Amino acid sequence: MSTEQIRAISSRRHFLASSALSVSSVALAWLQQQETAQAEGSKKPNLEPQSFDQLPRSGHHEPRAKAMISLWMQGGPSHIDLFDPKPEMQKYDGKTFPGEIKYDNAAQASSRVLASPWKFRRHGECGTELSELVPNIAGVAADICLIRSMHTGVNNHGQSIRALNSGRIVGGRPTVGSWLTYALGSEAQDLPAYMALIDPGQLPVMGVENWSNGWLPALYQGTVIRAQEPRILNLQPPPYLAGDVQDRTLAFLSKLNQRHYAQRPGQLDLEARIKSYELAALMQDAAAEAMDVSRESKAVQRLYGMDEPATKEYGTRCLIARRLVERGVRFVQVFTQNQFWDHHGSIITSLPKACQKVDKPSAALVADLKQRGLLDSTVVHWGGEMGRLPVIQNDAGRAKVGRDHNTYGFSMWVAGGGFRRGLAYGSTDEFGHRAVENIVNHYDYHATLLHLFGLDYERLAYLRGVREETLIDGQPARVVNDLLDA
Amino acid sequence: MTMLRCLLSLPVVLLAAEHLLGEVLTYERDIRPIFKEHCFQCHGEAGVRKGNLDVRLKRFLVQGGESGAAIVPGKPDESYLLDRLRSGEMPPGDDASKKVSDEEVARIERWIRSGSPTARDEPELLTDELLITAEERAFWSFQPIERPPVPEVQHAEMVRNPIDAFVLRRLEEQGMGFSPPADSVTLLRRAYFDLHGLPPTPEAADQFERDTSSSEWPALIDSLLDSPRYGERWARHWLDVAGYSDSEGYTEDDVERTWAWKYRDWVIRAINSDMPFDQFVRWQLAGDEMVTPPYAELPSQDLDKLIATGFLRMGPDGTGGKTVDANLAKNEVIAETIKIVSTSLLGLTVGCAQCHDHRYDPIPQTDYYRFRAVFEPGYNPRAWRNPKSRLVSLYTSADREAAAAIEQKAKAVEAERTKKQQEFIDRTLEKELAKLPEEIRETVRGARDTPQKERTPEQTALLKKYPSTNVSAGSLYLYDRKAADELKKMADQAAKLRGEKPAEEFVRAMTEVSGKVPETYLFYRGDHEQPKQAVEPGDLSVLICAEEDKDCIPVNNDTIPTTGRRLAFAGRLTDGSHPLLARVFVNRVWMHHFGRGLVNTPSDFGYLGDRPTHPELLNWLAAEFMASGWSLKELHRLIMTSTAYQQSLCASDERDPDNTLFGGTRMRRLEAEVVRDSLLAISGKLNEKRFGPPVPVMADRVGQFVVGQENLNAGRPGAVIPMKGEEFRRTIYIQARRSRPLTILDTFDLPRMEPNCEKRNSSTVPTQSLLMMNSEQVTQMADLTAQRVMAEVGDDVPAQISLAWRLAYSRQPSAEESQQAKQFLRQQTEHFEKHPVKQAATNTKTDADDRNPAEVAFGTLCQAIFSSNEFLYVD
Repeated sequence: MSTEQIRAISSRRHFLASSALSVSSVALAWLQQQETAQAEGSKKPNLEPQSFDQLPRSGHHEPRAKAMISLWMQGGPSHIDLFDPKPEMQKYDGKTFPGEIKYDNAAQASSRVLASPWKFRRHGECGTELSELVPNIAGVAADICLIRSMHTGVNNHGQSIRALNSGRIVGGRPTVGSWLTYALGSEAQDLPAYMALIDPGQLPVMGVENWSNGWLPALYQGTVIRAQEPRILNLQPPPYLAGDVQDRTLAFLSKLNQRHYAQRPGQLDLEARIKSYELAALMQDAAAEAMDVSRESKAVQRLYGMDEPATKEYGTRCLIARRLVERGVRFVQVFTQNQFWDHHGSIITSLPKACQKVDKPSAALVADLKQRGLLDSTVVHWGGEMGRLPVIQNDAGRAKVGRDHNTYGFSMWVAGGGFRRGLAYGSTDEFGHRAVENIVNHYDYHATLLHLFGLDYERLAYLRGVREETLIDGQPARVVNDLLDA
Repeated sequence: MTMLRCLLSLPVVLLAAEHLLGEVLTYERDIRPIFKEHCFQCHGEAGVRKGNLDVRLKRFLVQGGESGAAIVPGKPDESYLLDRLRSGEMPPGDDASKKVSDEEVARIERWIRSGSPTARDEPELLTDELLITAEERAFWSFQPIERPPVPEVQHAEMVRNPIDAFVLRRLEEQGMGFSPPADSVTLLRRAYFDLHGLPPTPEAADQFERDTSSSEWPALIDSLLDSPRYGERWARHWLDVAGYSDSEGYTEDDVERTWAWKYRDWVIRAINSDMPFDQFVRWQLAGDEMVTPPYAELPSQDLDKLIATGFLRMGPDGTGGKTVDANLAKNEVIAETIKIVSTSLLGLTVGCAQCHDHRYDPIPQTDYYRFRAVFEPGYNPRAWRNPKSRLVSLYTSADREAAAAIEQKAKAVEAERTKKQQEFIDRTLEKELAKLPEEIRETVRGARDTPQKERTPEQTALLKKYPSTNVSAGSLYLYDRKAADELKKMADQAAKLRGEKPAEEFVRAMTEVSGKVPETYLFYRGDHEQPKQAVEPGDLSVLICAEEDKDCIPVNNDTIPTTGRRLAFAGRLTDGSHPLLARVFVNRVWMHHFGRGLVNTPSDFGYLGDRPTHPELLNWLAAEFMASGWSLKELHRLIMTSTAYQQSLCASDERDPDNTLFGGTRMRRLEAEVVRDSLLAISGKLNEKRFGPPVPVMADRVGQFVVGQENLNAGRPGAVIPMKGEEFRRTIYIQARRSRPLTILDTFDLPRMEPNCEKRNSSTVPTQSLLMMNSEQVTQMADLTAQRVMAEVGDDVPAQISLAWRLAYSRQPSAEESQQAKQFLRQQTEHFEKHPVKQAATNTKTDADDRNPAEVAFGTLCQAIFSSNEFLYVD
C-alpha cells in the first residue's frame, strides 16, 4: 500500500484525521515494538515467552520466488485427459487392461481401459502436448512447467492432500503456506501473510486443515477469504456494522480511551493500544481495497472471464489472488469445492464442465502476472492431490463411466518464480498409471519450492519442544534442478 | 534436619565487602564463571581436555597444555590464553553471542596482571564431576530463609504491615515514597480481578461504595477468598506452572487427555479450601506413595492424593501415539517433567544440565541424573506404560461384574452380526457372478473360493479381470447399501448395550509398579542411547551441606511398597528449611498481585536470573508464609491489606522508571481467560457450573478454534451441534488442547504449554483490536449485554447507559460521558431504523423478524466499552 493510498483511506476516518499521529508512525511504532520483542533474550535459556511476527525476513540464499498462488484442484483432475497424452491407449480402448492396477472402489471396478476421448495438440515453441479441454492453459504453455511424474502413493483424498499440502500423510502438521510465512514473513504488514480463497460452494476435503498452521504459531495460519460478507472474519465487520456504524463506534471508543488516558498520562501500553485500533482500521481498509476487483479495468476483468457466467466466480478469485500478491501477501490458495475433480462417474460430461470453470481464469492469472512483471517472482501452482486411472469405473454405459483415484502417477503444473518455462518433465507408463521417469514425490516438490524461495529444506526448522521439525521431516527429498530456470 | 541448611551467610558478607573495595580479583569469584560458560566443555568437563589443557583450576592454567602455559601470573603479555581470546580464535565458532566479551577479557587481564590470585588453596584432587565452589554456594538464592528484622522508615504512619516497611525503606533510600491510595472503585476492581478474574457486580460496587468504614476492605478480601470463584482464578496460575493440558501433545495427533480434568478440579478445590501449600506440594509429588496399593475403592482423601500426582503427568506425552523414535518419546516425558518440577518448585533451570554441566549454575550433569532418579521409578523407561495404561480405574468390583455381564450380551449380538455379514457377502457375490458370461462363472467362483495364497496364476489373473467379484466385509457397502445398513444397526445395538455399562472413570496418576526399581544412568551428552555410569537418587549437590544429607533420598524404602524416593524428596522440599520452595512461591504470588515479581524471573532464581529487588522482603514473606502454616489465603490477606498494594497508579518517575521499587501500582492488561470470562459475566450469560469434563473445542468453518462439539464429514465441518449453555462456562472448564487454542484466548496471549508457562506475555497488537471490532464472539457478547441491560432497566436510555457503565467499569458515567453515549446511541439507532437488521435465521424460522434498532445500537455501545482500555486494563 502506498502512502497515497493510506492517506486516501484514512481521510474517511475522522477519528484518525483528528489524531496528531501520522499513519506511518503508527505502523512504525507497532513494528518497532515487534522487533524489540523479538530481539530480547538471545542468550538466556528459553524461558521467556517467545513472540512471532510477519515482518519480512531473508532466507538462506538469494530467492527466485517471493510469493506463491496455489490453484488447488481438489478431487484429482484426470491427467490422462488433460496433460499426459497416451496414444497407445487407443488400441486398448474398451479392452482388458494388461497390467496390475490398484482400485479404490471394488464394487464399481472394471478392468476395461478407457482411452481419452479428447484430442491433444502441441502448443507453444516448446511443443508441450495438451488436451483440447484446456485451450487457455495451452495458450500459456510456453510459460508453464508441467510435471507429468508426480507421486504421493496414498490413494485417498485426505492423505494425499496432506502429503502435498503439509509434507506427510498424517494430520496436524503445518501447511506449505505456514512454513513460508514462518520463514519469510510477509512483504505486507497491513494484510495477513497467508490467505485462502475458498469456493462459495463447499470447503475442499479436509476442510480447514488445508490452511492449518499445525504446531507453528497461530499467526501463520491461513486467513480465509469467504464468499459472503464479512469476507474475512475478524478483519472485517459483519455487514450490519460496516461503514458509518463502525466508524461511529470507533470514534466513540476513541473518546472513551482518550479520556481514560488523560487521567493516566505516560502509560505507554494504553497509548499503544489506542494506536493499535488505528492500525487495525487501516488493515481493515487495506483488506477491503485488496479484494475490490471493481478497481480493475474492464479489459482485465474480461481476461479473467468475469464477464461470463461459467468463469465469473473463479475468475474473480484468481484476480483477487493477483491483487493480494501484488500487495505483498506471501502465499495465496484458491480452492475448488469439495471433490470438484473427483470424477468417479460421468467423466465425459463433467470433466469438460470443470475445465470450463477454471481454464480461462488460471491461464489469465499466468498471463496477467507475466504482463505485470510479477511472474518472475511469483509461483503459480495448478494441481490436485491425485490423477485418475486408465480404466473404467462404473461400467454402466458411456454416459456413466468414470475413473477411479490414482496417486502413483499424475500431473500438475507450476509457472513463474524460477520454474523453467515451457518444460514438460517426467513421464508415466504408457497407460498413465505409474510415474516411471524422473519421478517427483511430494517432498521433492516441496524441497524445490523452498529452494526457489531462498530456503534450504534441511535448515528451515521449527523448534517444537526439543525437536527440530521440518517440512520434509526426514524424507529422502531432493531439489529437482531440472525444473529450475537457468 | 538442621534449621539452617547451609551456614554460609558469613562468607557472603566477607566476599561482598572485598568486592566493594574493587581491588582483588580472584579466580573463583571473577574468572571461573567466564571459563565455565565458555571453556569448560572442551577444557576440563567430563574428562575432555582439548590441547591437553584444563582450565578448571588456576594451577592447571599455569601448567598449561600442548601449547605451553596458558597464563603467566603477573605477565599478561606472556599469557597465551589472552592472545587466543583476543584474536577470537577461542572459543571457536562464528557466533558472536558465544564469544568472551571485551569486558571479560579485560577482567582476565587484570587478574593475571595482579598475579592471578585464588580465594583459597585450590583442591588437591579434581574429579570429572563439576566442582561447586564456595562462591557458588554463597549465591543468594541458596541461602537459608531467615526472617530479617523489619526496617525502620521515616514515614511510619504509612506502614500497615511489615511489607510496607520493607518497600518504603527502599523507596525512601531513593528519596521517594508511596503513591497516594487508590480510589475505592479502582481498589474494588483490583481486588475482584486479582482474586476472581471477574469484574465486580454493580450491586457489589454499590455496597462497597456505601460502606466506607476501614473494616470494609479486609471484609471484602475475606468474602472474595470465600467464594468458589477464587479457586477457579488461582488454580489457573498453578495450572500454568504445572503445564496443565487436556491433550498429550508431542505427536501430530495431539491425542486428547481425557482424564486430566480431575487434577484440574483437585487444584481448584485445594486452593479454595486453602490446603497448606506444603501439603499441596507433597501430595502432587508423592501422593501415591502415601496410599497403600492396590489403588481400588479408595476413601476420598486417598483418592485425592492419587489425583494430585497428576502434576507429574502433565508434561507432553507422545508415547501413546505414533512416534518416529519411541525411546526418544519416553525420554522426553521424563525430561519435560523434570523441567516442570524444577522451574515450578525450585525456580531453577535444572533441565540445562541434561546434556552437560550447567553453564551458569552449580548444577553438574550428575546432579541432573540424580534428580531424575528420584522420579524414574514412576516412569521406568525399561518397562514403559503409555498414558492409557497408566490410568487408574475407579471401577468397584460390583461395577466390574455388571460390566462383564453386559459385555457378554454385546458379544452375542456381534457374533450374530458376523454370521449375517457372511450371508450378505455370499449373496452379493452370487449377484456379481450372475453378471458374468455363464461359461466362466464356475471358474471364477472356484478362483474366489480358493484361498489367496493357493491360487494359480490363471486364477489370480481371472479375478483381476473381474475385479467386482472382490466382495469383502470392507467393500460390501459399495454393492448393497441396505445390507450394510442392517449390519450397522446390529453394530449399533452392541454399542448401545455397552453404553449401559456403569460409567468407568479414571485417574491420571503417577504410580510406581511395586518391586520394579529401574537403574538410572547418566546419559553422555544427554543422549538416552549413550548411557554411562549408574547414579543413585539425590537432591541437587548445592542444596546439600551436611554430610548426613547426602543419602537423604533412599534407593528403596523397605517400609512402604513404593521406593519412597519422591516421598523423601517431597519431605525435604517442604520441611521448612529449603531455601527455594517458599521463596519461589511467594515471589509468584507477589507477581500476580503486583504485575512484577520481587525476582523478575520467576522460574530462574539462578545466576542468569534477575536478583531480587527486595531480598529482605522476599525472605520475610517466605518466612511469614511458612510460619502461617503455608496458607495462601493468609498471604493474600497480608499482601492486599498493605499500603503498597492499595496505592494508586504509579506516576512516571525517572528515579525508578520501571517501577521496580513498587512506589505505585502497575497497569495490567487482563489475561486471555479474564477477558473471555468477564465478557460472559457482564452479558449475564456466565454459566457457573463447576468442575467436570472439559467443554470441547472445535475448528469453525474457517479454521478458528471455538467452543463446540466437533462434527466432521470427510474432514469438513458439518452441522453445528447446540452446546446448551456449556459454551458460556468459565474458561478454566474449556478444553485446553495444545493444538486447538481458542481463538479469542490465543489472540490475547494464551500461553503454549511447552511444557509449562512460567510467566505470561502481554502483547498489544492490532489482531486484538480487530477481534474486538469484528469478531462474532465479541459482537455476540455485546448483543447479549444489550439485551440484559434492556431487560433490567427497560427503555430508559440514561438508566441503560448507567447500568452498562456499572457492569463494565463498576462506576457511574460522568454527565459528559452519559451525554456522549446518548448522542451516540441516537445516531446508531437512527441508522438501524433506516437499515433494519434481521434476527439470526434459525432452523425453525427462515423469515426472521427485524431486531429492535435501539437494542442493536446498544450492542455497538457495549462493543466500544469492551474494546476500551478502561475495561481491558486494571490499575
